[in-house]
Amino acid sequence: MTEAIVGFAAVLGLVLLRMPIAFAMGLVGMLGYWFVSGRFTGTISMVSKLVIDASQDYGLSVVPLFVLMGLFVNKGGISRELYQVSNAFLGHFRGGLAMATIVACGGFAAICGSSLATAATMSKVAMPEMRKFNYHDSLSTASIAAGGTLGILIPPSVILVIYGLLTETSIGQLFIAGIIPGLIGILGYLVAVRYSVWRNPEAGPAGPRATWGQRLAALRGVWAVLLLFFLVIGGLYGALNVWPVYLRFSPTEAAGMGAFGAFMIALLRGGLSFKGTFEVLKETSLTTASLFSVLIGAWIFSNFVNLAGLPEALSAAVTAYDVPPWVVMSMIIMIYIVLGCVFESLSMLLLTVPIFFPLVMGLGFDPVWFGIVVVVVTEISLITPPVGLNVFILKGVVGDVKTSTVFRGVTPFWMMDIVRLALLLLIPALALYLPSQMSYAH
Amino acid sequence: MYRLAQSLSFILMSVACATLFFLMTMTFIDVFLRSSINAPLGAAPELTRMSVAIIVFASLPVLSGRGEHISVDLLDGVIAKLGLARIWSGIISLACGAMLWWPAERAIVLAQRSRKYGDLTEFLEIPTFYLSWFITIMTFLTMVVLIIRGLLILFAPRLMEPAK
Repeated sequence: MTEAIVGFAAVLGLVLLRMPIAFAMGLVGMLGYWFVSGRFTGTISMVSKLVIDASQDYGLSVVPLFVLMGLFVNKGGISRELYQVSNAFLGHFRGGLAMATIVACGGFAAICGSSLATAATMSKVAMPEMRKFNYHDSLSTASIAAGGTLGILIPPSVILVIYGLLTETSIGQLFIAGIIPGLIGILGYLVAVRYSVWRNPEAGPAGPRATWGQRLAALRGVWAVLLLFFLVIGGLYGALNVWPVYLRFSPTEAAGMGAFGAFMIALLRGGLSFKGTFEVLKETSLTTASLFSVLIGAWIFSNFVNLAGLPEALSAAVTAYDVPPWVVMSMIIMIYIVLGCVFESLSMLLLTVPIFFPLVMGLGFDPVWFGIVVVVVTEISLITPPVGLNVFILKGVVGDVKTSTVFRGVTPFWMMDIVRLALLLLIPALALYLPSQMSYAH
Repeated sequence: MYRLAQSLSFILMSVACATLFFLMTMTFIDVFLRSSINAPLGAAPELTRMSVAIIVFASLPVLSGRGEHISVDLLDGVIAKLGLARIWSGIISLACGAMLWWPAERAIVLAQRSRKYGDLTEFLEIPTFYLSWFITIMTFLTMVVLIIRGLLILFAPRLMEPAK
């Protein structure tokens, strides 16, 4: 167990010293495995075999295909249209543009699996509009930063795929489990906007009311993408396995259908040149390679941690002291929230899941539920000072806003996230009901 | 140097992009054939697995050459204040490259073993050592790229910029 703790500290140190997380985990995992097993050739064979086998993992194909789907749809200019639709329905309320931003972020999250991409994209669309209507920067930036976090919970989600591959949990079930907590997240953020404008009505003045004609016209721009989302998620859930279509997808098939559909949408809208297609494919390939590297690093580290007996030692300690499972879970969540203050989401997930997952499973918690809890806590970390990454992404795009202004505005949204986390802990069915109803679980 | 890197990057990325486009189209055709005439592509699973490996390993040297691996930049400000940013970045790149030597070398043994045993894929019966060799060569290339990148950052940073 001591070796594993030293290894964990070494990874933390190397990562903080700017070594890429994949290499830091791989190096420490490799050296640690060698130290504990005492066999150098066996260690190197384990690593090489892991690299060769893992790169041919069928489940890994979900990553490039879902990333591709998001990028193709984005190329078709969907973010602006999603915002226009939400704005047409909500813009006339006080704080309406901020509420429209939240709903548009939720919609964008349904085709994009990354919170940072959601925040960056929506800030370009929503920020100028909110400034035009004299929204206070604290409310407008906070609504984008918080809305952006929905990207990793509402399916598809890159973080959930990584969690699924790391823990061998069904990616399909994880995606479906993210839907209700994602919707609760949208509702919570809408409440946070209303609270912000109730406290300070000048922060978000009401805009003009759109006519029903304008609303229907706005809807015309997004129907194809909404249809694509329902096809992908409906196929994954098994809801389309009825006469006359009989469609049901594995996660890879759903991702492939989504990517191809998004490609066709972008092509038919005329927003896709040969060069543009190449750029999208290139960006997707590079993202896949970087995610694959960190996964391999995490797997090597995980093998070392298991060999060193850390999960068993933690379980034994919990049993020996007779600690109730909910106390252990509360401690894990506290650790996540503290780590979230200094680490970005993916690093935090990769560092902690190999250690906590076996312990949590030993205590009888559901792996899908734990995955959703981890992602919700990660979402909180994205808007928590001092490192809340979404806040910094937003600052990078918007430029002339102080970080402290964004963090001040984000407080009500952060509180709603804590409420959502508490709900999820108290009522696991919020995450587990939909997966239990899937006709085709993977 | 810069142009050579650009050309190599273009070739590798073209391979990755073509494979990714193939994967996307094949998955669509597979689902379409299965749903419409109940005739899925039997080779789809193994082609998917091979495609993922090609996409990842063709991109890995380019990703490493660009220095775009996921990392935490929490102490960047401190390192920059100490005037160590360039040297530190070079050392990290060299270290990352050097540590790939052992897995890459071992991958040769595994690829040769797979060739000796005559391992084939289930459906198309393609010898698996082709892919193992591709993975091995790309791991070596990534190692070389990281080491050259480290050396250039330390000793000749101007060579990493486009020629004027």
